[in-house]
Amino acid sequence: MKRLFKGIVWGLIVVLGLSFNAWAFGRKTIVKVGINAPITGDIPKVGEGTKYAARMWLEDINKAGGIEVGGKKYPVELVIEDNESKAESAVKANTKMITEDEVIVIVGPQSSKQAVPAGDVANNYETPMITPWSTNPDSTKDRPFVFRGCFLDPFQGPVLANFITEEFGFTKAAVLYDVASDYPKGLAEFFKIAWEKIHGSGSVVAYESFTTKDADFSSQLSKIRSSGAQVLFTPQYYNEVALIVQQAHELGWTGPIVGSDSWGSAETVTLCGKDCYGLFFSSHYAAAGAKGATKEFIDRYKKTYGYTPDDVAALTWDSLRLVQQAIENSGKVTGNIKKDRMAVRDALAQIKNFNGITGDMTFTEEGDPIKCAVIVKISDTGEYEFYKSVCP
Amino acid sequence: MEEQNEKDQRPKKGFKAWLQKLFAGIPLIGWLFSVFGAVLIEYFLGDLISYYLGLPKIPVLFGFLTVLKKPLLIPGIIGYLILVYGLPILLIAKSLRKPANKLAAFLDKGPVSIGAIIHLGFFYGAMHFWTDLSDYRLLVLKLTMIAIMLTLSINVINGYMGEFSCSHPGFMALGAYGASTITLLLFANDKLFGDALLPVALGFYFFPLALIGGGLIAALGALVIAIPSFRTRGDYLAIISLAFLFIVKSLIENLEFIGGPRGMSSQPNYANLPMVFTVMVLCIWIINNFVRSTMGKALNAVRDNELAAEVMTVNTRKTKIIAFMFAAFWAGVAGGLFAHVLRYVNPGSFGIQRLAEILAMVYFGGLNSVTGSIVGAVSISILSEALRPLEIYKWIIIPLLLILVMLFRPTGLIAFTEFNPKELMKPKKKRIEEQ
Repeated sequence: MKRLFKGIVWGLIVVLGLSFNAWAFGRKTIVKVGINAPITGDIPKVGEGTKYAARMWLEDINKAGGIEVGGKKYPVELVIEDNESKAESAVKANTKMITEDEVIVIVGPQSSKQAVPAGDVANNYETPMITPWSTNPDSTKDRPFVFRGCFLDPFQGPVLANFITEEFGFTKAAVLYDVASDYPKGLAEFFKIAWEKIHGSGSVVAYESFTTKDADFSSQLSKIRSSGAQVLFTPQYYNEVALIVQQAHELGWTGPIVGSDSWGSAETVTLCGKDCYGLFFSSHYAAAGAKGATKEFIDRYKKTYGYTPDDVAALTWDSLRLVQQAIENSGKVTGNIKKDRMAVRDALAQIKNFNGITGDMTFTEEGDPIKCAVIVKISDTGEYEFYKSVCP
Repeated sequence: MEEQNEKDQRPKKGFKAWLQKLFAGIPLIGWLFSVFGAVLIEYFLGDLISYYLGLPKIPVLFGFLTVLKKPLLIPGIIGYLILVYGLPILLIAKSLRKPANKLAAFLDKGPVSIGAIIHLGFFYGAMHFWTDLSDYRLLVLKLTMIAIMLTLSINVINGYMGEFSCSHPGFMALGAYGASTITLLLFANDKLFGDALLPVALGFYFFPLALIGGGLIAALGALVIAIPSFRTRGDYLAIISLAFLFIVKSLIENLEFIGGPRGMSSQPNYANLPMVFTVMVLCIWIINNFVRSTMGKALNAVRDNELAAEVMTVNTRKTKIIAFMFAAFWAGVAGGLFAHVLRYVNPGSFGIQRLAEILAMVYFGGLNSVTGSIVGAVSISILSEALRPLEIYKWIIIPLLLILVMLFRPTGLIAFTEFNPKELMKPKKKRIEEQ
């Protein structure tokens, strides 16, 4: 017993002496920003883009010597948490960042299945949160502390319907979507409503669906082909887009195929190849032919990480810049985390005409931005070219 | 017991024996006392101690998360763990050995249930103060308890009955959606079902009924697959149950009135710690009694040799169906709690990934063992939470651990044991004197 006691006492003395900053008591005021990203799981590419954009932002802040609030500079720390692309992990990550790391504001999670439950946590703890990529209205609905960095599907659907009508003058459209996935299903419905509003009911001549991870679409595509549709709208993710487009061309489909912002990943063209050249989709920004700050961001990202950033990275970048502006505008960092979070939330809600790389933004009452959509054309060299901008 | 005595009689040497001597003679209630004491020390002094050790905050989850992100804080964390957990637990356990043994002896005379309730009371008290310090701990603990329920219930099928069932996430989904529908329809104003049909204030008291409702729906689902599939065994049942999992998932995805792929959100906040804890204790208690009953023995007989069991007058068909439904019921209850802890469910949460998690827990902990299930569920849940800062490497470490366990203990860490609360709560001193 004595030996044990002695051992423990000596051990403690050593540990105390060695413990980092045991000699510098006191905790500094650090502005902490949480990132909730799907680094592992189904969509690691999205998590990677989020992480890289956040690192670039932190680099900028550190270069400037911290974030300036009320004439004083505070150091900034990023808390990056992996949500494994699962709902409960996103909730855990948010709870941890809010209660343990005491972040002032959270950026993320990206997909709606995580942003909806995680937004609930952030709102309950009165912590401002911006989800850069979630398009589900529920993420921000009735949640004064939750904001969003992108436009919503009820806006994107009509934008595409109008664009196709004006550009091609078609009257009959077909839709092919994944019935088991939240985003494609919602967008397909909004597109159908918008299209039928312009061309009358029955003008969506084929409304075909499949289930996540299906790889053979020939039966749906043959139906679409025989229905007499002039254009095919498919709001799918990059891996399915490649399959759908290739199979449609094999079956003899010659009309245009139009997509939504989920096409915006760099992988789409890599997987799809020549089949996708010349097609259109709506997006948050276009990488090829970008100007000003957008080009600067793209070039820097490409130089550091070796590939063109997709829309997630750009939206995360904008969200972080919004956060930065809100913190700067909040007037003062008191060190009282509750007060600071409240001040940041108020500052965030008041931001007007924020000049982002994905367009100008002003938040509505619900915390959704009013911003323009971009129609992108995939060029003959496989680049995403700016074609047209559509504003609300 | 025989084996135990033999071990004790051997001459003791070295650190291991010394440790054994140190820990011998302290009954369970003594350990619970000391854990409670340590938690109280953390509750009142934790902030101060962590401040003087140069830590940014009280380390949650024993400092794993902090250490993995900032290795420089390791000495501070170790110091904190020794000061707050190690030393107080040892000292209190040692100094209260005598009164604790007396209390244990006193409780031993009474019925098991009273003793168990007193033990659980101390345990709950410790957890209450432990989670009071951090809501993150609370959430992790609640989800761990739900994992225990899931693991235990799948152990009834995969361990005690010896079949390989893959439909557990499906049962969980049925329970989660069933319970959520009941609470949202009756006690909450939401967009899916409109205004509450009953007074909102009553909701919390009816929540257990909603959970049971969810469990019953899951049990009904189990009956649906049990009837056709128990004509087959082994691989075929695995395939049929896997199909069931997909059917449930697609069904929910296509049912628009319960939210479809978008899921159901804003469940009322009923699943607090006492509620989850009570349900989990009930689950352990009932399942433990079930597997130790004649029914449980019959299940084991069916597993070992169905034909022989049939000859020995076991109604194998009935036994299997009851066990299957029983396990599904508890999976459904766990699902209902899960939905109310997260306050959001979507069909995507109940896929193959969830199945892999549950199976990992049950095979890691050990088949045919209540203790094993608890150990497996707790260690996998806490481990996967603690290692999250490692990101992708976490998915190398945990499977590696599983492989190692399968290599060295093919049936899991603690397999084929009986969980006997009376034995567990016995005073320890007496036994040593007897020898």
